[in-house]
Amino acid sequence: MSNLRGLGPLTRAGLLQAFRSPTSLFWNLVFPLIWLFLFGFIFFRSATDKVLMMPGLFTITIMSGAFFSVSYLMVRERESGILRRYRATPVSPTVIVLANGIRAIVTMLLAITMQASVGWVVFRYQVDGSLLLTVLVLLIGAAAFVPLGLFVGSVAQDMRSAPAITNLLFFPLVFGSGATLPAFMLPGWAQSASRLIPSSYLVESLDGVMVRGYGLAELAGPGAVLFATMGVGLWANSRMFRWESSEPVDRRSLLVTVAVIAAVYVVAALAAPSFQMAHPPARG
Amino acid sequence: MVIQVEGLQKRYGSTVALRGVDLDIDSGGVVGILGPNGAGKTTLVEILEGLRQPTSGRVSVLGLDPATQSRKLKERLGIQLQTTPLPTELTVRELLQLFASFYESAQTAEAILERVDLRKQAHQRADTLSGGQKQRLVVGIALIHEPELVMLDEPTTGLDPKARRDLHQVVRELREQGRTTLLTTHYIEEAEHLCDRVIILRRGEIVADGRPFDLVGQSRESSTIWIQVNGTMDPAPMLAAGAEPLGEQGAHHKFSTADPTATVLALGDMLRSQRLQLVDLRLKRPTLEDVYLELMGNDVNEEEHLTKADVEEGVSQ
Repeated sequence: MSNLRGLGPLTRAGLLQAFRSPTSLFWNLVFPLIWLFLFGFIFFRSATDKVLMMPGLFTITIMSGAFFSVSYLMVRERESGILRRYRATPVSPTVIVLANGIRAIVTMLLAITMQASVGWVVFRYQVDGSLLLTVLVLLIGAAAFVPLGLFVGSVAQDMRSAPAITNLLFFPLVFGSGATLPAFMLPGWAQSASRLIPSSYLVESLDGVMVRGYGLAELAGPGAVLFATMGVGLWANSRMFRWESSEPVDRRSLLVTVAVIAAVYVVAALAAPSFQMAHPPARG
Repeated sequence: MVIQVEGLQKRYGSTVALRGVDLDIDSGGVVGILGPNGAGKTTLVEILEGLRQPTSGRVSVLGLDPATQSRKLKERLGIQLQTTPLPTELTVRELLQLFASFYESAQTAEAILERVDLRKQAHQRADTLSGGQKQRLVVGIALIHEPELVMLDEPTTGLDPKARRDLHQVVRELREQGRTTLLTTHYIEEAEHLCDRVIILRRGEIVADGRPFDLVGQSRESSTIWIQVNGTMDPAPMLAAGAEPLGEQGAHHKFSTADPTATVLALGDMLRSQRLQLVDLRLKRPTLEDVYLELMGNDVNEEEHLTKADVEEGVSQ
C-alpha cells in the first residue's frame, strides 16, 4: 500500500480546492444546473420526455466533468508546476491520477444529486427504476470516463491546446451517443455508428435502469463496456502520465494507446447486445 | 560520502549543459554551488534530485542512483525547487499536512510551523503570504520529513534582507543538526558566509572547489591596507616588502599588496625604526566575489550560455 501513500490527504486537498474556488464551484455545480433548466424548459414537454431525457442529462454531466473539469485540472497543475513539486516527493503518479479521479467523481455525483433534487422540485422528475442501481450505474459511469479525461489531460500540451482536444471529443460523446437525442429517434446507420462512441453505453445503462427498470443481469453488456472503458483509461494514464510540460508526449505510445482504446470500442460495437434504446420505452 | 558524481554530462539538444563533472561531497556542512545563469547549476542539482536524466556519467546520492531509485531517494532528500507553485486554495497548515502525508515518516505540521516561524500564518492561504513567508513555507515543506540531505535551489532570490537572514538561520540550524545542505545561489556573499565549501561552475564545468577562505587565498587580486600614524612616515620598508602606494585617503595612507603578511611585518619595522605610533590600521583582503569575477572573465556579463528554451527543447535527450 506504500504505493498509495498520500491518496487520502491528496484527495481531501483536491476537494477543498474544488469547494473553495468560485470558478470550480461554478463549472462543477452551477453549470450542470444550467443544463438541467435548458433540458427542462426545452425538452420536458411531457412526463415521457422527462423520463427519456434524464439519463442523457446525467451522461452530459459526467462527460463535461470528465472532459472539461478533470482534463483541464491536470493540464493546469502540470503547466503551473504543481505536479513538478509533487514529483520532488515520493508520491507516485498513481496517487496523483487516483486523487484527481476521486475528486472528480465526488463532484460529479454531487452535481448529479443537485440536478436530481432540483429536477424533482421544479420539474417533478423522479427515477422510475431502482434508485440504488441508478446510483451504482452513475458511479461506474463516472469512474469509467474520468480516467479518459485524465488521459486527455496528460496528452494535451497546454491550456491553449486542451480546449481544442476536449471539445473535439466532447461533442461526439454527447451528441452522437443518444445523450441529447434518444437513440430510437436516430436512423439505423446512426444507431450502429453510435455503438463506437463510449458514452452510448452509459446512456444505455442509465436508460435501462432509470427508464426501463432493468436489473443487473440486463445491464451486463453495457456495464462490461463501462468497466473496459475504466480499465483502458487507467492503462492509458499509466502510459501517458507526464509530471512536467517540458516532457514531450511520446507520439508512438500515444498512437498505440489511441489504437487500443479504439479497438476496445470496435469490439464493443461488434459484441454489444441488441440496442435497447432503439425502441421507445414501454410506458410513459 | 553523501554525493558521488563521475564524468557527468548533460546535453540539451546541441547545447552541452554539463561537461564531465566530477564531484564528491561528504556528510554534514553546507555546500554552495555558484555560477552565472546557464552555468549548469540547476541542471546539476536536478540530476542529483532525480528530476532530470543525465546524458552520461555516474551519479550516486546517499548511496542510491537518482535515475532508477528515485522514490527511495526522495524519502531521504529534502528538495526546494527554484520556483515552487503551490495549490493556492489551501492554508499553510493544510499544505504542510498534505506534503507530510507523502513520506513514510514526517514531523507534524505544528513542528514545522514552529521551526519556520509560521505559526501565526497557519490558517492563511498560501497566496496571501509575503515573499519571505512563502519561501519559509517552501523550505519547511522540504524539511518536513527530516531529510538527511537538503537541496535548496536559490532559496533567497528576491527576498528582502530580513527574510534572507531568517532563511540563513534555518540553513545554519541544518548544519548544527549535522545534515548536509546543497545550496545554489546567486549571492556570492551568502555563499561566503554560509557555506563550508563552495563549488563554482562555469559553462558546465567546475572551475573552483574549496573552502571560501582557501579560494580567496588563491586570488590574484591584491589586498588593500590603510594606515594612519601620528607623524610623517617614510614607507620605504613597506615598499621593499612589495606594497604599492595608492596615495592618501583622508588621514590614511593607502597601499595595495599581494602579500599582506609581509607588508604588515614591514609596517611594524617601520613604526619601530621611525618611532611612530599606529593610529589606525585597516586591511581588506580579496573577497569570494573577486575570485568569482576572476574565474568568470567575460561570462558574468554575457548572455546565458544555457537558456531555458534549451532546457525545454532538449529535455528528452
